[in-house]
Amino acid sequence: MIKVENLSKDYLLKKKEPGLSGALKGLIKTEYKTIHAVDNLFFELGEGEIVGFIGPNGAGKSTTIKMMSGILTPTSGSVYIGGEDITKHRKEVVKNIGVVFGQRSQLNWDLRLGESFELLKHIYRIDRADYDNTLDVMDSILGIKELVDKPVRQMSLGQRVKGDLVAAMLHSPKVLFLDEPTIGLDVSSKFALRTFIKEINKIKKTTIILTTHDLGDIQELCERLIIINHGVMMEDGNLSQIIDRIAPYKTLVVEYYDEEAPEHERCELVEHTDNIAKYKFMKKETTAAEIIADLSKQKNIKDVSIEEAGIDDIIKIAYGS
Amino acid sequence: MRTSIHEEVRREINVKKYIYILKTQLIKSMTYEFSVYGNIFMQTIIMITSAYFWKALYKDRGSVGGVDAESMLTYIIVSSMLSVLLITNVEKRIEMSVKKGTVATDMIRPVNIFGMYFAEDLGGVFALVFQNMLPILIIGTLLIKVPVMVDVSALPLFVIAVLESFMINWLIAALFGMIAFKTGSIDALIQVKKHLIRLLSGSIIPIWFFPAGVSKVLSSLPFVYIYQLPLSIYIGKGERAEYIAGMQIQFWWLVVLTAFFFFVQKKVTRKVMVQGG
Repeated sequence: MIKVENLSKDYLLKKKEPGLSGALKGLIKTEYKTIHAVDNLFFELGEGEIVGFIGPNGAGKSTTIKMMSGILTPTSGSVYIGGEDITKHRKEVVKNIGVVFGQRSQLNWDLRLGESFELLKHIYRIDRADYDNTLDVMDSILGIKELVDKPVRQMSLGQRVKGDLVAAMLHSPKVLFLDEPTIGLDVSSKFALRTFIKEINKIKKTTIILTTHDLGDIQELCERLIIINHGVMMEDGNLSQIIDRIAPYKTLVVEYYDEEAPEHERCELVEHTDNIAKYKFMKKETTAAEIIADLSKQKNIKDVSIEEAGIDDIIKIAYGS
Repeated sequence: MRTSIHEEVRREINVKKYIYILKTQLIKSMTYEFSVYGNIFMQTIIMITSAYFWKALYKDRGSVGGVDAESMLTYIIVSSMLSVLLITNVEKRIEMSVKKGTVATDMIRPVNIFGMYFAEDLGGVFALVFQNMLPILIIGTLLIKVPVMVDVSALPLFVIAVLESFMINWLIAALFGMIAFKTGSIDALIQVKKHLIRLLSGSIIPIWFFPAGVSKVLSSLPFVYIYQLPLSIYIGKGERAEYIAGMQIQFWWLVVLTAFFFFVQKKVTRKVMVQGG
């Protein structure tokens, strides 16, 4: 569905020297510094895939999304959507794209939600039947019809984002870009949104690219993860595989009856405070059961628990490198 | 042959979406924008003060520059009404889009953004005809005089001249608005532009009252073709041949500004596409 090849984006940044002399110099001659916002990205997404596109602030996520949706021209490389080069057939390709920016609404502040939808219906030239049908589907998932008579300016953030999502899906795009859709939402709105994303992905086979800083979003929605940092691709793969590769260990926490903690040959005692000892072991080498069995032969164990590397550890590690 | 029919159908549907944008804006302006009523008050003040001004000026004279006091009063009422048609929002619209960063989201849709801005302004003006122009006509009629057209046979010329002045005015506004893509904020510039047009276009004081040199310079700028030309036709100043000659220049200004607009639009769109919105 989407093919990204050699995608790069450079920005020219004015070099500013400090002080008055620097400012004066800048008036006469400006020097530019090249910033590689996105550097040589390669990936391919299939139909109906949900991909988490993550990275720290300023990693180049939004720039990439803008290039993929045709509103930013790449410095080099190309993006194909449904086999069509987006830079060459922009006007045709945008009809297959829906975009939601969590922090900027595309809805018209002064109109009722339904009026905004009608406007989009005309802009995208959607058939009445298709339009009604899509709206019915959206209503069954999000309950959007109770909002259509409400002016957008009077909506809560949760309602507005719902409206934005439906607006982006009205023309049944094949690809949906979601840029931090759950930002600032409460738990129940987040839940509704995630359900919506899952449902439309199932019903409409929409390919979804999701950028987020919310780990819950990723865990709930994404099977595949693409991590970028400084514009460079860090990871691309299955979520659990990435976890296995970046963090191939688990931590066993054992509580004893006294302060003495025995060592074990196949794991490392990483932390020991009072009665609690933490053992880090490789998933490939041994299992928690084995270690517990061995340890319990040496000392009485009061309690055990296992800490697994989660998605947040992965992100921390990936961002740190 | 077949493809050309296809193209025609396509274009017709294409226009439809802009008409819908216009309609939506009309609904929006009718429903929500009460602030526009302030303009009636402002225009009333301008009309009344200019009426006193011209009455005082014409006290001992029958006519100045071939125009008598009565015609001058008509001139100011119609000028106030015309100013309503020439209210544009495109420059503010562009500035807001640049500030809020919504240019990008506007560009994702399969519409030309300037086509969209134009349709929105047109919708806004249609609403203003009822909200502003009619009240100003009524107030002007009651407080000053009935602004009748002297030679009604010139009406088609007047209508065409007004349409062209609307276009020229909009193109100038859009060109000003595009500066926002470069500088970000154009608040002060919008004010400067607004007052420049009001002063240099003869909307308050016709330029035939200016010294010959100044008047000549102003005639070579596009502004007089926005207000003074259609207003002169309305009050019947000069001959038919003069109107036609003026409208020819007006038309050339329209062509030049249109060409310049498309040239700048292309550059600006490319710039946004390269630097991000």
